[in-house]
Amino acid sequence: MKIGFPRAIFYFDTFPFWAGYFEALGIELQVSLPTNRAILEKGLKKASDDTCLPIKILSGHLASFSPDIEAVFLPRMVSIEEKTYLCPKILGLPESVLAAVPDGLRVLTVTVNWREGKAQVQKSLEKLGAELNKSKSEVRVAFARAQEYQREYEEMRRAGRTFVESMEHFESLSSSAAKTQPTAQLEIARDDSVRGSEEGSTRLPHSERRPTIALIGHPYLTYESYGNLNLLAKLKAKAKLVFMENVEQVQIEDNLKDLRKPLFWSQGKRLLGAGHSYAANTYVDGVIYLSCFGCGTDSMTQDMLARRARANHKPYMVLTLDEHSGEAGLITRVEAFLDMIERKGNGFAPHVRVKDAKSQ
Amino acid sequence: MKGSVVLPTQNRYFLGVDVGSVSTNLVLLRWDNQVEQALYLRTQGRPMHTVQEGIKILREQIGSEAEIIGVGTTGSARQLAATLVGADVVKNEITAHAVAASRAHPGVQTILEIGGQDSKIIIVRDGVVVDFAMNTVCAAGTGSFLDQQASRLGIPIEEFGPLAVQAEHPVRIAGRCSVFAESDMIHKQQLGHPLPDILAGLCQAMVRNYLNNVGKNKEIRGPILFQGGVAANPGIRQAFEQELGQEIIVPEHFAVMGALGAAFLAQEKVSALGQDHTRFRGLQLAESNFQARSFDCNGCANHCEVVEILQEKETLARWGDRCGKWSATIRERVGNVEGGA
Repeated sequence: MKIGFPRAIFYFDTFPFWAGYFEALGIELQVSLPTNRAILEKGLKKASDDTCLPIKILSGHLASFSPDIEAVFLPRMVSIEEKTYLCPKILGLPESVLAAVPDGLRVLTVTVNWREGKAQVQKSLEKLGAELNKSKSEVRVAFARAQEYQREYEEMRRAGRTFVESMEHFESLSSSAAKTQPTAQLEIARDDSVRGSEEGSTRLPHSERRPTIALIGHPYLTYESYGNLNLLAKLKAKAKLVFMENVEQVQIEDNLKDLRKPLFWSQGKRLLGAGHSYAANTYVDGVIYLSCFGCGTDSMTQDMLARRARANHKPYMVLTLDEHSGEAGLITRVEAFLDMIERKGNGFAPHVRVKDAKSQ
Repeated sequence: MKGSVVLPTQNRYFLGVDVGSVSTNLVLLRWDNQVEQALYLRTQGRPMHTVQEGIKILREQIGSEAEIIGVGTTGSARQLAATLVGADVVKNEITAHAVAASRAHPGVQTILEIGGQDSKIIIVRDGVVVDFAMNTVCAAGTGSFLDQQASRLGIPIEEFGPLAVQAEHPVRIAGRCSVFAESDMIHKQQLGHPLPDILAGLCQAMVRNYLNNVGKNKEIRGPILFQGGVAANPGIRQAFEQELGQEIIVPEHFAVMGALGAAFLAQEKVSALGQDHTRFRGLQLAESNFQARSFDCNGCANHCEVVEILQEKETLARWGDRCGKWSATIRERVGNVEGGA
């Protein structure tokens, strides 16, 4: 059995979990191609005009599935940790994007809600398993594997492995076919996304001293190299990048302690906690918050982080994406931001850091 | 400038070129950091032609003895302009404007810049940019909108500001969106409000919109410089002064500050490299035949629109492809094209 897995939204942070689950059940996943123009255009036609870019991209991926797969997988991710929710647009899945699913294609879904504890998640996964004719004991094994893969992924990222490297590892585990039937197009797309998102730096002169930039943003924007106009490659050409995923959970919690009340969006918590920690980090020369139009949770957290960055005299910029984003505007902002850092006291010399450290 | 590798004499100049959506500006900077020539031309959708036109005018003014020893380009068509003229430095508008402003007025802390299609705010402390913002997709509150309204009211844009400052009771106009501003304005006209009051109201609406969008969250401190084409409008300047309660300085070369900044950046770059390193392709390029063409690449599903710039059938540059398949093959020769592809 082969199930389609859209390379959108939840792919970018929980794919390893699902890779583990389905692999243990002996079900092959077919991840859709990296986003391209055709996929985005389909998404724009199929999705509601009011929603955000990532949901539009998800709709495009759904609409692009070929009928030769048996089902498409669209979990309802309600909560991934205690006392938090995911954003309302993600809670609205899968119903809000069903219109994009090609006629006749079966949609497999499952509700994941860690607010109600592990036992409830287990029950949901059993229900999904039953639909796939799997026994409770098989599901128990699959659930354990899913968690193990997810932990492994998070450790890989903290250890500095890139997103693309890490995901390739899990994709190859979940799909035996991926290696045997790559079309020419897939090859190009892969290559593009690798260079596009993470490996841009390898082509560059290494003589210049490069600033360190913390890129804070939802994974489905940060690693969506088509949607973000290849931002990572553009930044990597001129800077060393650090991400939210490089920050330990403990550190994230630590950096949120002084909030007047806890945030209840888990993504927002991670973004802000990591952002706070980078804003206070003297080895980070600047913080960029990557957001998109129509993001409700970002509207709060990007401003909260702006205040922290200003208090710490850390250069800070918000980049906002949507389907109309022109490359010119993005390039101008990125260049100006890097220039600002570079010209700020002759770059990132140690004496600047010492001064910063004292002033805090 | 430290090191003083460059010893420019009377007849040697740095050229700054700023190609924006509405205007194309060229500045010739003299050895003593004074502006020799400043040109403000309308781009009229033909950036390449306008740049060539500008070079032609400059050549007539300075004579064939003159030598260009460094070139900088900026503006939304900076890459195109750089390819055309052979630039030593290609910089974004924010850096260029900030550099020009801090040279023109060393103590500047805030720069308000309103151009044809975009507007920005730049916060400077101790001569260094510390924060900036640009308008997003909305073009309300830019020069194009003022142009459009002036022509709708049947007044030349040059008279817009002088009329606005005569207003006694500026009317209140919704400035959130240019479409609503226009319908609001028509309504006020139908009620019989005098023209100066409506124009002043429009200026106030535009300034409010600018401060709410672009100036949001920014610490605006004096001295404040107001530059870009719209700074020619005393109505807008007055509205800024009223809203911010501070003096607004309009620098002498307010309309060409981007080009001036680009010239200063070229000076910086050339002095760092040594004087004989300019990539400038010569004043005769005014006569050369440049062509731009585009095609869709069918290499993958992205179908990138690739642009190709040719001079006398020789390809100078290509851009627009995401993977670098087309641009990479040509990049070395052109060089220094920042933010390309």
